[in-house]
Amino acid sequence: MRPTHFIFFLLLVFSVLTLINKALATVKLTDATGQELKLAETAKRIISLSPHITENLFEIGAGDLIAGTVEFSDYPEAAKQIPLIGGYEQLDIEAILALEPDLIIAWHSGNPLAQVERLAGLGIPVYFTEPRNFSAISHELRQFGQLTGKNLKAEKAARTFEQTLHQLKSTYANQQPVKVFYQVWEQPLMTINGEHFISQALNICGGENIFAELSQLVPVISRETVLAHNPEVIMGGGMGEATPAWLNNWKKFKSLQAVKNNRLYFIPPSLVQRPTVRFLQGTQIMCEKLQAARNQRVTSHK
Amino acid sequence: MTLNLLPRLILLFLLALLVILLGLLLGSVSLPPEAFFALLTGQGTPLHTTLILELRLPRVLAAFATGGLLAIAGALMQVLLRNPLADPYVLGLSGGAAVAALLAMLAGLGMFWVSSAAFAGALFSTLLVFGLAYGSGQGSATRLLLTGVVIASGWGALISFLLATSQAHQLPGMLYWLMGDLSHAPSSVIPWLVLLVVLLALIPLGRTLNVLARGTLQAAALGVAVQQVELIIFGLAALLTAIAVTLAGSIGFVGLIVPHLMRMVFGYDQRILLPASALAGGSLLVLADTLARIVIAPQQLPVGVITALLGVPVFLLLLYRSNRQ
Repeated sequence: MRPTHFIFFLLLVFSVLTLINKALATVKLTDATGQELKLAETAKRIISLSPHITENLFEIGAGDLIAGTVEFSDYPEAAKQIPLIGGYEQLDIEAILALEPDLIIAWHSGNPLAQVERLAGLGIPVYFTEPRNFSAISHELRQFGQLTGKNLKAEKAARTFEQTLHQLKSTYANQQPVKVFYQVWEQPLMTINGEHFISQALNICGGENIFAELSQLVPVISRETVLAHNPEVIMGGGMGEATPAWLNNWKKFKSLQAVKNNRLYFIPPSLVQRPTVRFLQGTQIMCEKLQAARNQRVTSHK
Repeated sequence: MTLNLLPRLILLFLLALLVILLGLLLGSVSLPPEAFFALLTGQGTPLHTTLILELRLPRVLAAFATGGLLAIAGALMQVLLRNPLADPYVLGLSGGAAVAALLAMLAGLGMFWVSSAAFAGALFSTLLVFGLAYGSGQGSATRLLLTGVVIASGWGALISFLLATSQAHQLPGMLYWLMGDLSHAPSSVIPWLVLLVVLLALIPLGRTLNVLARGTLQAAALGVAVQQVELIIFGLAALLTAIAVTLAGSIGFVGLIVPHLMRMVFGYDQRILLPASALAGGSLLVLADTLARIVIAPQQLPVGVITALLGVPVFLLLLYRSNRQ
């Protein structure tokens, strides 16, 4: 064998080996529960078990890889066309199997674990997500990029997210604190504690959740305590996208600073109910409202 | 006999006043008693005035009215059905109200519409049960009870269906309604008016009720127009319960146990029993609601959790003592 032939042969062997290697395990990563997941190739038929997962997959350009999803996956518009496999708290296992998925992305604290484990037992790879803070969102985008092979777009989305987040933090987080009451439900009266995503968003904006210390994530509280804390701002969402009547219900309590200075703000719930890129839009709105309250404070002191 | 019971009734009345005062003084924000006196002399701080006059007073009054209405309705149902297990909800009234209220919540309507739907649902269920039980002309208390229990099970199944198919964020509101919650009771004089009017209206009926409680045959033999009286009792009890449900959702236990409690203390004369039940039911609910507001303050519990926790030991104690005597 002549040397040139030999080199040619080596090159051939090398490229075949890399191809085989690629085919054997292209994806290898650890999910939110610490479980290691190996996929022979990037996922082509994904089942998304939560609206936030669907939304984040679309964000990295992998929306067309979703074979089935759960009810209320309503963003972006294209998500509404995906076949449904039940609600996130009640899965239709037969429908999932019928779609022949090669990956299930599940929501650890939201989906019924017994059902997801059943699916895993049937040999379908399961990746668990559990985003509890802002950095988990960009992490999740990157992980989804690896799972689907859309690494570039995912990296870009994650970077944009981190930059916007950093910008908000550096603009608002160290401003004078504003005492905020954030209402998520009227009957019963419910708020959020410090661990909640919304409360983290308030911190980024330099806001101070008056119920941050409570132990329950979404506690039912008394109107009295709100009056006693006398927040400077009252914020909240509700069911629809229209300003809910209950935000106005506070107006009869004239002794509240928030009422006196007319600082009752509506936050569109669709922007702050899911750990997705849209959450930053909601955060941006919160920050602007709090800044308005701060500015008003400065002018009224003059 | 009646003279003998009067001191007890007065004692009960004082107890009711005391409980109402307690309900005004206690809350998740603790107020010193001085603040209360300052308020009485018109020198309270704006915060204290708001807390006591705008938040606690309407709620305590609504709680008292609700408890009173439920206790009378329960006492009437027990006479009507001659069944110790009868309570205001036994004929499916709360189920009808609950289904209508939950549907209103699912539609995203405000509390006014939820309350209105509850009232409409309660009346619809009452008419349904009444129509089915007496429609063929051959009505009897047993038939009424059976019809009511079956309709109630039907409503129960519908409630489970609604709970199972609704979104997670709507569940707390629904569960609080089903367990009974006074945080959204509208401040209105209507419940108090109805409570007083019904109590007055029942005074002339007292003897008839006493006779009826002994059985329809005896009552008929003594010249009571049984069917007519039964109709009046049923209508009154339904109205009282519907109003209570509108105020606070379905609060269990008060309507069942308070009349029994009062029978152990006051005996079987309906003329004493009904006003005593109203006082005791009102007091129990005010006390329970006050505890629901402060036990894990600033977090809140639905009042239904506390009513039974309070009532069960008291009831067992009295039962035990009346057995020994």
